Order: sequence, then C-alpha cells, then structure tokens
Amino acid sequence: MRYGNRIHWLALPIACGLGSAALLAAIGQSVPASAAGPKTRPDPAVEGERIFQQNCSRCHIPPMVLNPRVTGTIIDHMRVRARLSRKEQQLLLKYLAP
Amino acid sequence: MTRAVTGLTPLMRDSRIANETGRSASRLFLFSLALLCFVFAGPRMDLAQDSKPDQTSAGYVPVLSGAFAYIQNSSGGVQSLAPQINPVLLVPMGKSLLLESHVDFTGFFQRRNRTSGDFTGEVFKTIESAQVDWLADSHVTGVAGRFLLPFGLYSERLTPVWIHNLQDVPLTYAIGTHPYGSADGLMLRGVAASQPSVNFQYSAYFSAHSSIDQLPAERAAGGDGSMFFPAARVETGLSYQRSLEGYQINNEAAYLTWQPQSFEINLKAEYDRNHYGDGYWIEGAHSPQQFFFAPRFFRRFQLVGRMEQFFVRNGGGHGLSDVDEKRPEFGVNYILRDDWKLVSSYGRLFSSNGNSNTWNFGFTYRFIWPLWPGKRS
Ligand code: HEC
Repeated sequence: MRYGNRIHWLALPIACGLGSAALLAAIGQSVPASAAGPKTRPDPAVEGERIFQQNCSRCHIPPMVLNPRVTGTIIDHMRVRARLSRKEQQLLLKYLAP
Repeated sequence: MTRAVTGLTPLMRDSRIANETGRSASRLFLFSLALLCFVFAGPRMDLAQDSKPDQTSAGYVPVLSGAFAYIQNSSGGVQSLAPQINPVLLVPMGKSLLLESHVDFTGFFQRRNRTSGDFTGEVFKTIESAQVDWLADSHVTGVAGRFLLPFGLYSERLTPVWIHNLQDVPLTYAIGTHPYGSADGLMLRGVAASQPSVNFQYSAYFSAHSSIDQLPAERAAGGDGSMFFPAARVETGLSYQRSLEGYQINNEAAYLTWQPQSFEINLKAEYDRNHYGDGYWIEGAHSPQQFFFAPRFFRRFQLVGRMEQFFVRNGGGHGLSDVDEKRPEFGVNYILRDDWKLVSSYGRLFSSNGNSNTWNFGFTYRFIWPLWPGKRS
C-alpha cells in the first residue's frame, strides 16, 4: 500500500536550492581567514578558537567546558571526526588546555 | 543504541532474539579488553604527568563520558517513558592506541494496556562498540573490534542523545545500519588530503558475521568519503555499504551539512536508498545569538525543524516501514548549561497505516569524568 508515491513538492526545490547555495558558499569562501593574510606566526588562542568553531561546532554546541586532565584523551578521540591535522590538533590542545 | 522512543525499535527486537550460545565468548572478549586496559593504561599515565606535549596542560587520563537522559514520548496517544544511560569509556594506551567502548542502557516502559494501567517494560542493553583505535597519524587511523557503522550523518555522529536535536530517528535510519548498527571487524579511516580550503576524509571497513551474545553483527563491507570546506563550513559526502549476508543488497547515502554563519543556522540533509526503500530528511536548527531582548537567555534556545519522507520499494520492511510515510517535525530545546539540555518536540506522521502525532519531552545530561586521580599534566 502506498501513501503517496511522489516526493513532496517542496523537497526538490529545497534540496537543489540548499545544495547550490552551499556549493557557492564553499567555492566563494574557500580560503580560511588565517590562510589569507600575510604569513605570521598563528596566535594559538585565535587559531584554537577558529578550529573549534569550524571543526567541532559542526556537531557540538559551543561553549564546551573541558577539564584539562581529559582534554588530550578527548582530542585523540575526536580528531578523526573533526578532521584535524597534527598542527590543528596541537593548536586546539593549546587553546583548550593552555 | 540511542534510538527513537516511538515504539520498540528493530534493534531492541533483534537484541531479544540474540543467540545465547555466544555468551561465554562475549564475556571472554570483554574480560580481555578490560585486562588490556589495565596492563597498558599505567605507562600512559606516567607519560601524561611527566611530559608537556608542546607546552599544553592537556592530560591523557582514562575518561568515562556519556549521557543520562529521560524522554517522555506520546505517539498516537500511547505514552512511553524512556530513561537511558549511554556511557563511553576511553582509555589511552601508550602514545598511539586508544581503547573505546560505547554501551547503551535504554529503558522502555508503556502502560500495561497501552492507554491504561501501570507502566511496565524492560531495560535493553546494547554494546555499540568495543574497539581499539590505532592513531597512526592524521591520514590513517586503524580500528579493530566492534565499532559503530560510519554510514550517512546519523549513525556515528548524531546517535548520542545529548547531540541530536530531535529525539525521533529519521524514517530512513535503518538504511545502512540495519539490523545492529555496529560492525565487528576492521576499519581504516582518516584525512586523505588536507588543504586550507578543502579537506577530504575517507573510511573503509569490513564486518564479519557474529552471533556472539551482545556483540552480534552481519557480514558487510563499505565506506564513506566526504569533502569539507572549513571557511564556508560546508561538508558533503557519500556512503556506500554492501550487505553480504542473505540477500546481498547495496545501501547508499548522500549528505550535506552547512552552517552559514550569517544566518546562525545549522543545516543537515541526507538522502538514503536501498533495495527496500528510499527517502530523505532535511533539518535546520537555529539559536538566536543576537536577540534584541535578553540575548543571554534567548541564545540558549534552539529552534529545530525537520521534514522527511520515505518511499517503499519491494515491500519495505527490514527495519523500514512497509508503507510510504512523511513526517514534519518541530522542536524547541533549551541549553541550561553546556552539559544540561531540556528537549521538546512535536511531529506528525502521515502514513496509510494512519496519521499520528508524536510528542517528546525530557532532559539530557552529558558527563565527562576523569578516571585517574592524576594532577594536570
Ligand atoms: C562529526 C561529528 C563530531 C565532530 C566534528 C566532533 N564531535 Fe565530539 N562527539 C561526537 C559524538 C557522536 C560524540 C559521542 C561519543 C561517541 O560517539 O564516540 C562526541 C563526544 C564528544 C565529547 C564527550 C567525550 C567523548 O570523547 O566521548 C567531547 C568532550 C567532544 N566530543 C568534544 C569535541 C571536540 C573538542 C571536537 C572538535 C575537535 C569534536 N568533539 C568534534 C561527534 C563529533
């Protein structure tokens, strides 16, 4: 028994709209703020905050309060999900547990 | 598994018929994991306290994290109560091994005669993962043991009760996760290539058949590949899984997440398909950061909306509905602190089996407890 065999009339335009807007945004802003400016030594606090906002807040709602004693274990646990490079991992550790 | 509270989930049903013969093998497996953790945890403690990795005070002690939650659900006039605890144990062993295990205890209680009488039910225990992660480098992480299937957006990322925005799992959830949600086998994953502008991630796994009590799994192979544009906060990916047990079927998913900063919104969308059905869900969550009145109070609100549809193919079933369904759902959550959240939602299911309303109310509490009395390192 079928309830309605066609996709909701709003679904396709929403999916196409969302997809193309996201793609345009991705192409338009493809260089992160830190990589755009002249080469200076990254400030761990600023970079750590940026990495948290970009990589962790995809799945978690900030702010997140962490006991420094557990921070290393947790970043080891989350690093694949957050797609962290070794450098980003170090900057984030400095930011979360200075 | 932290699943919908709208009725007995397929996983719960399957866990009831789990093969009893493997009980002793599962005890042996868990005992060996515990032993490993005690043998190897010690050296890492010393390392954590003596060395200062690149000038941070970050410690590497074993952690027990997870959540308590209590969700009260009303579906088509039938009430159910679902208290749950989902502990996650993390034990770092040496420099590049991490042992992790997720267990879920979900109670499911309904009135004896569905709408009248006292509440009765039972508590379901599921070992979702018991795995060793080999953290080779950011390009490769090897996983061995029992792990959550990395399929689509939901299973591995949004399943925890303190993370998902709406309590009901999507109508297509069983695609790629049916029947157990977890695999017993090996997985390789990591960041294949990373540029400041875009980064590519992969995972590839194989699961063996297992009828061990508490650790059941089906033979399957699959993988996931995704691209992430950090500046725009856009992620898009594809998941594929071939189920190699009984009928060999393909499960496929395509997904997109986007957090446009200017709109303070978190968007997620996924399309899933297999032999028994296909469907999509689109979800948006908004927290007003700059509300003109009492901004500190209002920024803790989270307004959520999700639209989803499921279409039957070849009779459906296998964890999916056997009729076409459609469900708009709305939620209002309030984040009391970063660990406490009040949740509420309303959804209406349109189905030829009968339309019904679904209400959810409850709270979630996330905990992170260090399991070692060490000082900061
Ligand atoms: C793709 C989604 C995703 C991303 C990105 C992510 N997390 Fe998580 N996080 C989860 C899930 C899911 C859990 C629940 C535990 C589990 O499933 O392993 C979790 C658990 C946690 C916990 C509880 C303790 C634990 O480790 O289980 C903390 C703290 C945490 N994450 C912090 C972070 C931080 C910091 C980042 C950024 C570096 C991050 N997460 C990135 C999905 C994510």
